Amino acid sequence: MPTLIVNETETQLIVVVEEARIDAAIATRFKDRLREIVLRGRKPVRLDMRRVDFMDSSGLGAMIAVRKALPEALPLVLEGLTPNVERVFRLTRMDSVFDIRPATTLQE
Amino acid sequence: MSSSERQNAGPKPRPAIRTQPMFHRVLQAEPQDVRQTLEDLRIRFAKEVSADAMGRLELVLAEVMNNVAEHASATAMPAADARSMHLCVVMHDNGLSCAITDDGGKLPADCLLPRTLPALDPLDLPEGGFGWCLIQGLTQSLCYYREGQRNCLAFTVPYHA
Repeated sequence: MPTLIVNETETQLIVVVEEARIDAAIATRFKDRLREIVLRGRKPVRLDMRRVDFMDSSGLGAMIAVRKALPEALPLVLEGLTPNVERVFRLTRMDSVFDIRPATTLQE
Repeated sequence: MSSSERQNAGPKPRPAIRTQPMFHRVLQAEPQDVRQTLEDLRIRFAKEVSADAMGRLELVLAEVMNNVAEHASATAMPAADARSMHLCVVMHDNGLSCAITDDGGKLPADCLLPRTLPALDPLDLPEGGFGWCLIQGLTQSLCYYREGQRNCLAFTVPYHA
């Protein structure tokens, strides 16, 4: 099962992705688990991606499916993308769809 | 003994030639084996290839090999005859040359035709269809041929994007 650490506050869900790779070997389970977390929370989501060192198009598909499962009004912010992950979002133009921010906002 | 020691043996050693890592593997066409292969590939080239080129190489190979794995499982085979594929990566002057062969079904011709990204309809985002766009965008000299029952795909990932 993919390792996702959830910190829930009054106003938001912070989900730390503790997986080095989001690839075809894990994409379906990752999607199911993350979707379950964000739908149960019903709060704005911040996804800490700093540990993810590699993602392929099946991992991207999982992220898109989770975004689509959330009501449009609920923000899903991706923070701390590593270069390999940022590349996939950029080359597929999905960086124009997702709210992507530097990791600095995660300091607390 | 390393290969350069062997070449330099004898009373009149030849000047040391630069040796470069290469990678060759036969793997099962399934996602866990693809993952393991890419992790080992990264270790093999870590000292020679920049993180940026390595990242592009890894992404392209993930897309290609996951496609092979997906289609190997789609065409039901007897359990004892699990599909395999061969991967070979060597360093050339301008980039990493890769060849992938497998005995799955023929590659549909439209995979290799120039592609555009799936339409980004904000109300109904595409969840797939990115793989061949990424492969085409990150490779040079992409070519495919069918040899008997085998697929052969070859391309180069440049050192500098």
